[in-house]
Amino acid sequence: MTDESKLIVAAKAGSAEAFCDLAELYRERLLRFLLTRCASFADAEDALQDTLIAAFRYIHSYDSRWRFSTWLYRIAIRNAAKLRGPDVMEVGELRDEENDPLQQCIADSETENLWVSARRTLTDEVFTAMWLRYAEDMSVNDISTTLDRSVSWTKVNLMRGRRALETQMNSAADQSEAYG
Amino acid sequence: MDKLAKQLRTDAEQIDVTVSDELEQRINASLRAVEPMEQMPRAAKPPLFWWASTLTGVAAAIAVIVIVNWQVPDEPVSPTPVNFVAAVPTIDLNAETAMLTGPLQEELDKLQSDLKKAEEKVKRDIGL
Repeated sequence: MTDESKLIVAAKAGSAEAFCDLAELYRERLLRFLLTRCASFADAEDALQDTLIAAFRYIHSYDSRWRFSTWLYRIAIRNAAKLRGPDVMEVGELRDEENDPLQQCIADSETENLWVSARRTLTDEVFTAMWLRYAEDMSVNDISTTLDRSVSWTKVNLMRGRRALETQMNSAADQSEAYG
Repeated sequence: MDKLAKQLRTDAEQIDVTVSDELEQRINASLRAVEPMEQMPRAAKPPLFWWASTLTGVAAAIAVIVIVNWQVPDEPVSPTPVNFVAAVPTIDLNAETAMLTGPLQEELDKLQSDLKKAEEKVKRDIGL
């Protein structure tokens, strides 16, 4: 039994301490993910808190056949969708660069961070699928479970997302070559 | 890992996110304040319930069998042959015909005599 499994068992038995330890393993990853959809850093923090509280409250419904991260991301996505309003932005929505929390967390670089361009070009669900695949290293099956989509839908949309981002990446590379 | 996947991984790592101590304390405090919802346990059915439902089922099956057998119709009785020819009364067809055509014949005779009288009157008037 892994440490994570032990913590899950203890949390299921009602131990808040165990769940706090469990949450510690995921909270930065979740915050980074929520940051891509919230209008401010404070909103992302609130969304993270709500996600973890909901996860602890409904820990009895967690099925150990799933990966814990899959279950947690599912709650985070649902929670982010619930919060959607003026505070939570659609992935493709235009943002004010100075106030964009994601831009604020990225160090200045010559080329644009691919996730910023992904958020601009991809749809909400495709962005999430791409994030789970390439930032979280989730399997296609886990992504389809998290998004409540079929495996074929996930594969097709990952492919589309990749194509769109490859085009972006190549054009960015061409531009930097042109400018020397 | 291909070039795009590598770039995406690197770019995700470049998103510098740290959970502040304040947020950590806030989250931990709210988690301690939350009671996880308990899974509703399935009410275990007592063995008496199982026996009662079995007996009820058996009793219902027996009742259905008894009712079905009770309502089986008696042996069909072969009907005795009936002489329909003898049973049906004979009708005097000629009498009936006369009864039906009698009034018409009378009416015809009256019309013919009226016609004859009219002819004679016309002949007298024109002087024939």
